Amino acid sequence: MAKGDLLGEFEHLILLAILRLSGGAYGMSVRREIADRTGRDVSIGAVYATLDRLAAKGLVTSAMGDSTPERGGRAKRSFHLTGAGIAAVNRTRQELSKMLEGLEFPAPGAAR
Amino acid sequence: MKPPLLARALLAAVAGEAEAECVAGDLEEEFGELSRNRCWYVSQVMRSLWPLLLLRVRSGELSRLLLGAVLGAALPLLLMDRLWRLVYSQIPLKDGVDRAPEFLAVNLLALCVSAAISGSHTRSMRPAFVKAVFACAAAGATLAASAGSTPAAYALLVLLLAPAGSMFGCLLRRFT
Repeated sequence: MAKGDLLGEFEHLILLAILRLSGGAYGMSVRREIADRTGRDVSIGAVYATLDRLAAKGLVTSAMGDSTPERGGRAKRSFHLTGAGIAAVNRTRQELSKMLEGLEFPAPGAAR
Repeated sequence: MKPPLLARALLAAVAGEAEAECVAGDLEEEFGELSRNRCWYVSQVMRSLWPLLLLRVRSGELSRLLLGAVLGAALPLLLMDRLWRLVYSQIPLKDGVDRAPEFLAVNLLALCVSAAISGSHTRSMRPAFVKAVFACAAAGATLAASAGSTPAAYALLVLLLAPAGSMFGCLLRRFT
């Protein structure tokens, strides 16, 4: 596997958020999904920068939607996982599962 | 209540053409849902500036704008400055003397034409405006680096004509 195929932590979170939002994923909904589930208050700029990187890797695609008054008449850009994106998420999940298999977690703060 | 004007302007200036509309729309939507929390909006904009700037650099948009400003404003001024210096150096007792107004007028004309050509490569108004700001900065930097004294009126005209020429080129392209 080439180095570019590896997913960073934030990239992984974003792909999972898109997957969870199933069709309703756009910048702010991805940001809120991550904030609600992980408690990380990420910036919208960081989300878009990562989405752009994922699009460059061919893991997500985007499409412009209609503009709405709540958005000040601006269009919404929705994101979807590509086949390669789904494969990357599955691969990362399998790798994590294998690494976690049979692992005994030490208590927080304990030295090992 | 609208989001803070300064934060919106900062976001529009830093975000690339592809992201500016979506990011501003997303923020405005959540701003409405969060009972118009201005502090939240400003915090989001400030924390987004660096990633959005990096994104703009990575997409090559910033390089294109810089190149347009250098070719459209800085290069003609620099070349004309060097040309007049060469001409003056060939004339006895003229070396080091301030440029004649006619020569400065030719500089301004060359600047207008090249800025308009550079601006005509931009189709929409937002990047045209950013390019105009870059052209103004590039012209200012060239003036600061040029040899000899620069008349204040000439400097002012350069700083006005560089962005104006760029915007004119864009408008000409849009309406022809």
